[in-house]
Amino acid sequence: MKTLLVSALVILSLATTSVHAQDDTIRVGMSGQYFPFTFVEQDTLKGFEVDVMNAVAQEMGREVEYQTAAFSGLFGMLGAGRIDTVANQITITEERQQAYLFSEPYVYDGAQVVTKAGNDDINGVEDLKGKTVAVNLGSNFEALLRDLPYADEIDIKTYESNIERDTALGRVDAFVMDRVSASQIIKEKPLPLALAGPTFSQITNAYPFKDTERGRALRDEVNAALKTLRDNGTLKAISEEWFGTDITAP
Amino acid sequence: MGALDVDYMLGLVPVLLSYLPLTLQLASLGMVLALILACLFAVIRVQRIPVLNQFTVVFISFFRGTPLLVQLFLFYYGLPQLFSALTVIDGITATIMGLTMHFSAYMAESIRAAIVGVDRSQTEAALSIGMTNSQLMRRIILPQATRVALPTLMNYFIDMIKATSLAFTLGVTELMGATQKEASGSFLYFEAFIVAAIMYWIVVEMLSWLQGNLETRLNKAYSR
Repeated sequence: MKTLLVSALVILSLATTSVHAQDDTIRVGMSGQYFPFTFVEQDTLKGFEVDVMNAVAQEMGREVEYQTAAFSGLFGMLGAGRIDTVANQITITEERQQAYLFSEPYVYDGAQVVTKAGNDDINGVEDLKGKTVAVNLGSNFEALLRDLPYADEIDIKTYESNIERDTALGRVDAFVMDRVSASQIIKEKPLPLALAGPTFSQITNAYPFKDTERGRALRDEVNAALKTLRDNGTLKAISEEWFGTDITAP
Repeated sequence: MGALDVDYMLGLVPVLLSYLPLTLQLASLGMVLALILACLFAVIRVQRIPVLNQFTVVFISFFRGTPLLVQLFLFYYGLPQLFSALTVIDGITATIMGLTMHFSAYMAESIRAAIVGVDRSQTEAALSIGMTNSQLMRRIILPQATRVALPTLMNYFIDMIKATSLAFTLGVTELMGATQKEASGSFLYFEAFIVAAIMYWIVVEMLSWLQGNLETRLNKAYSR
């Protein structure tokens, strides 16, 4: 009985283990839940991140394989070597730099407070004292808020997703996200939200890699590809298509 | 209150429906393996087989005592950190392993209760006419215990179908993962999640119907 069970488990794992990606494929993780960077419409993965990564991979002469997972799982996958990098507006931070290698930045942005439309109490990050503020779990915006001198006066709530919805519903007073995607959400989606004040911290996004031989090689290739795409105007064109402005230059 | 986007919902049905087989596959494989494991554990516990009994007690205690999500993260992200060869366990396998161990711990206890619930005099009678322990189990105890355990086991199966929605944290896009991604592209949360909810509901309703039929069959000997 026991051997039967063990063999059943072995057969099962053999049967469901996907054939491992070829070495010339770059495996890219993203949440598929971060409009307009990475999202799904009618079963098709789309967004700024997808377009940029497709261009980068083409420049590298590699196939690209996308793996979607909840955001909180992406770094676990990277750490376990299940994916090569994450294309999900990953902000360069000191902590992350200790654990991962980063490519050159390909997005320059700032953190933005967003409130329900018509909320005049909050006009910037300094007005968040005593307020409830939503951020995405594992995102850099939580750390940004906790670094504020009055952080202990802010009630920070972390979400897996749907922070825009809860702000629009009034369950929290505001959420913090990057300015670009916040403006995009307000422009395109039927939610009563408004930007509150100016951005409050520069953000640069890049691709993280594991510090292994493969990771270092891929990082160098990605950097070369990014430089070509920047020089020939492809990055700018992709950015303008999604945002109407160039977010790929400082 | 905004109007419902019915066209969007209808368009979503075929998309989400294509992820339902994976959800069902995760749950049914998990259920079959969990059942085997649970029966094994229950027998070990009832017969108090030395060493195995102690192991089973600890196993059940751990897998009942920690959240399924914690176990899934341990299998999928934690173990490959210690043993890099374990990266070959993909998200689907890790989900099935997690569901199997988690639910086998619960199911072992309800199967054990069903076995213990068969009147002791029947055991004595069987042994007195010279049945062996395994004959006693197969011919007398298990047929009766199955009937008692069926409703609770069905409950666990239903629970397991819904627990597959955790698989997206391991990168497995099943029904819930697909719904979350579609909803975050359209921001039509109610529309997307109500479609998913109805799909889960229909599946569970079909199972309840199956359970009713099975119960009638198992109860035949008792009805007149």
